[in-house]
Amino acid sequence: MAEVLAEGYNVFDTSKSPSGTVKYLFSPADVISLIQSGKLAEHILLVRGGTTTFLAPALSMGAIGVITMSGAPESHLGILSREFQTPCVMTAYLTDSESRYVVGDTDEAHFEEIAKALDGRRVRLDCTDHEVGRVVADD
Amino acid sequence: MTALSLSRMDYDVLNVVVLKKMATADAVTAVSGVDPTVVSDVLAALADHGLVVVAGGSALPTDGAESALAATAADRYAALRDDDAVAGLVDRFETTNAQFLTAMSSWQQVDMGGRKVANDHSAPDYDAKVIDRLHKLVTRLGPLFEALAGHDPRFARYPERFDAVLAAIDAGDHDLVSSPTRDSVHNIWFEFHEDLLRTLGRERTE
Repeated sequence: MAEVLAEGYNVFDTSKSPSGTVKYLFSPADVISLIQSGKLAEHILLVRGGTTTFLAPALSMGAIGVITMSGAPESHLGILSREFQTPCVMTAYLTDSESRYVVGDTDEAHFEEIAKALDGRRVRLDCTDHEVGRVVADD
Repeated sequence: MTALSLSRMDYDVLNVVVLKKMATADAVTAVSGVDPTVVSDVLAALADHGLVVVAGGSALPTDGAESALAATAADRYAALRDDDAVAGLVDRFETTNAQFLTAMSSWQQVDMGGRKVANDHSAPDYDAKVIDRLHKLVTRLGPLFEALAGHDPRFARYPERFDAVLAAIDAGDHDLVSSPTRDSVHNIWFEFHEDLLRTLGRERTE
């Protein structure tokens, strides 16, 4: 059985199970570069938060899947991912780590640990559960 | 590097691009009311200054765009930030915003025995209740729009856009509730929220 690397809130149930190489997007410039590279559909996009508003162009141009490290399914990004039917796992945490996101009380190390573990890794999103979204190793 | 201080026109155009994340000149005109030929010239100048990138006919903000807007807003809206009446209304907006996000989720998903399933919009009464709720939430923003427009008339465009979109929804165009690609209730609300935070010099919270 494939290894579950991370889990989080599943924004909506879907049988879509996109796979791709995780790409950590830190700034608007990262999103622009990715769109201009023409390789948007090859990546599962990892961003820091549900309020990461700069991701919207990527969603509208065909992003296949999104992982966030904070935020709730009711957030703007959650609403957009349902509209675009882009599978999305929010407030993902590493299954082999004790670190968890807590609103207003999360240090940089939490985000860095997740980005380091997932960025560049080939994964598949499993969003079939009505509560838990899973990031599964696909390499 | 010190962030650029923008002219009023540059701010108004760049602000729309940043709010929309990707915008054609026509889209900027539709939201800002600025003449389309002026918008094109301003976008070209903003591109020269490295504040937008034009790709596929749309302008996208660069990493420097938000800091340029923030630096300019600090001066432009200094009086607004000191206005206690605005501050009180903004506090109330936070509650209204949370209610709005809940309403939007209930438009997209229905609670079926504790499980959220996609709203297939087959129950007109349910949808009508959500739309009625959206009307009420938008109406609650009226005093805030008025107070902000007293400092900068561009804020008066928000109630105009909400009036237009709610009228279209009432006429049957329900796609305008949450469409991510049209001037929907969700998009207008989201843009207003982000615009408000920048105006006040505040950050979003998760």
